[in-house]
Amino acid sequence: MLQQHGALMVLALLVIVGSVAFDSFATAGNAASVVVSSSFLAIIAIGMTFVIISGGIDLSVGSLFVLGGVLAAYGSQYGLLVALALPLGACGVVGLLQGLVIARTGMAPFIVTLAGLLGVRGLMLAISGEGATTYLVKNPAFASLGQGELLGLTYPVYITAALALVAMVLLQRTGFGQNVYAIGGNEQAAALMGVPVARTKVTVYVMSALLAGLAGALNAARLSSGVTILGIGLELDAIAAVVIGGTLLTGGAGGITGTVAGVLLLGVIQSLINQVGNLTSAFQQVVSGAFLALVVVAQRLLSKAQRLS
Amino acid sequence: MNLRTACLALAVLLTASACAKAEEPQSAPAATSTAGQQVVQSPSGTAGPTCTLDQFGGKKFDLKTATVGFSQSEKEANPFRIAETKSIKDEAAKLGIARLKVTNAQSQFSKQITDVQQLIAQGAQLLVIAPLNSDGWEPVLQQAAAKKVPIITVDRKINAKACSDYLTFIGSDFYEQGKRAADRMIDALSGKGKVAILLGAPGNNVTTERTNGFKDRIKEKAPGITISFEQTGEFAREKGQQVTEQLIQSNPDINGIYAENDEMALGAVTALKGAGKEAGTIKIVSVDGTRSAVQGIADGWLHAVIESNPRFGPLAFETAQKFLDGQAIPDKVIISDRDYDTSNAKDSLGEAY
Repeated sequence: MLQQHGALMVLALLVIVGSVAFDSFATAGNAASVVVSSSFLAIIAIGMTFVIISGGIDLSVGSLFVLGGVLAAYGSQYGLLVALALPLGACGVVGLLQGLVIARTGMAPFIVTLAGLLGVRGLMLAISGEGATTYLVKNPAFASLGQGELLGLTYPVYITAALALVAMVLLQRTGFGQNVYAIGGNEQAAALMGVPVARTKVTVYVMSALLAGLAGALNAARLSSGVTILGIGLELDAIAAVVIGGTLLTGGAGGITGTVAGVLLLGVIQSLINQVGNLTSAFQQVVSGAFLALVVVAQRLLSKAQRLS
Repeated sequence: MNLRTACLALAVLLTASACAKAEEPQSAPAATSTAGQQVVQSPSGTAGPTCTLDQFGGKKFDLKTATVGFSQSEKEANPFRIAETKSIKDEAAKLGIARLKVTNAQSQFSKQITDVQQLIAQGAQLLVIAPLNSDGWEPVLQQAAAKKVPIITVDRKINAKACSDYLTFIGSDFYEQGKRAADRMIDALSGKGKVAILLGAPGNNVTTERTNGFKDRIKEKAPGITISFEQTGEFAREKGQQVTEQLIQSNPDINGIYAENDEMALGAVTALKGAGKEAGTIKIVSVDGTRSAVQGIADGWLHAVIESNPRFGPLAFETAQKFLDGQAIPDKVIISDRDYDTSNAKDSLGEAY
């Protein structure tokens, strides 16, 4: 449990340091920008949490994110419903295929979803003229889904919060959630106990793909266009957020709270770098890497302290 | 368990290699501060629409004490971006602008949107943006408009309305660059042959206009030249090399390569060297004017380079100051670019970036 709190503690620490060091850090505007921009990664990371707890990995989410966005922008000319159904349908099918291959053939999720990463981006390039065609969102109802505001925060933030709550309940309070933990802990033992291994695996990959597609669609609504250069390396951000949130990369343990803290932590680190405002791009990477190392060390110390007490 | 460790190791390797594709160290540009400075093509009397502080609806402020934000799009890992960021920083220091905040989106468009929003949240009163993509700026434009923050975009355009969504655009005439590159290519091939295009990254006006300018000119002036291959090299050296390697496999009879930036042209040179070609057998024309490319002309590998000047600092702040002083600003400020060929490459090395 304390493992998950490592990210939260470092997050709290950084927020305090940031507020003291920079006048413009703890402002409503800056906080809103961190929360709003984090919400899209958070949606993807929620799906990734299920996948990683089940002992798998999903590298295709960055490509599904950009495909979802392009399809949503394209679909928006036919109305709100198509703008959502098209990306969710396409991403759902990709997730289903990946899940079936992983569950039925026992192939490594790393390889299957790596193929997904490449194939899906190729598909996106194919429907957007090698990425040169940017479909614009002309449908105001769909655009407001990404741009509408309530209490200074855009709708995607509330959608993310709702999804996180549902995911928490699913993971902690349902038989499906227990199955996910059981498979990640010990797949053979889970199968012997009668856990529907294949079905559970397929479900987590479909969920992950659907959430990535949804995040892409919401982002397209926010940007009013199906930008084609998005999502490169996004899968690594999502995996990083999940892991620094305390979910074990080997599966079997972890949770949504930690993941949300992990996503916010990445956002806050970025925001602090922007507050400093004169680091070169190379040095920015060094700083983010150093902070992530700090989180891992903090987690280690916390879990040691827990075992001793 | 072992498999997982292996996978993890592979993932780490992949990340590391993705991070390690930075530019090999270059000799630091030692040109004097005014050498190679940008020159506006038509300084006054342009017919296009203009914009004043009143029309825009902003308030006058002092640049020196204001917070100024600069959002760079790509890592400072290629000469163009290095020179661009340096020019903005140097000019700000020269003018005594104390609160310049620089962000870098590292080629991630989502990050650039967040970067600019955070610059606005930090109280930036002027934004200079080098956009990664031309579309998708809605959230930024809304916030900037609400606070009446003028935006100057440099080198690439934002698809929006000048004077209301953003103030103005400063950059080259990319269509013209494409046309001039075509003229050089026609000249090099005496009007006939097969040409390949290494396209820039998709989704921005630079790639589109450099392509259209080149193709239109070829069609108009040299019907004997066919464009038999075009593929994106994403403005990156290694991608340019990779695409050229495929090109010489699939089109061994190619006569010329038009690379839409120098990095891709240099990648193409590496590929041609690897395939055992002699310098100058395949004519390469590219756009940018980086030091390595101009050196490439001197070495005989490149035929000609059309300049695209990245030193935006002086012109950006001069435009901002004029605007704040109440003068009318044109909706686009087009700079004039030189070109390099064998006649001037050696002498111009000091001015290249």
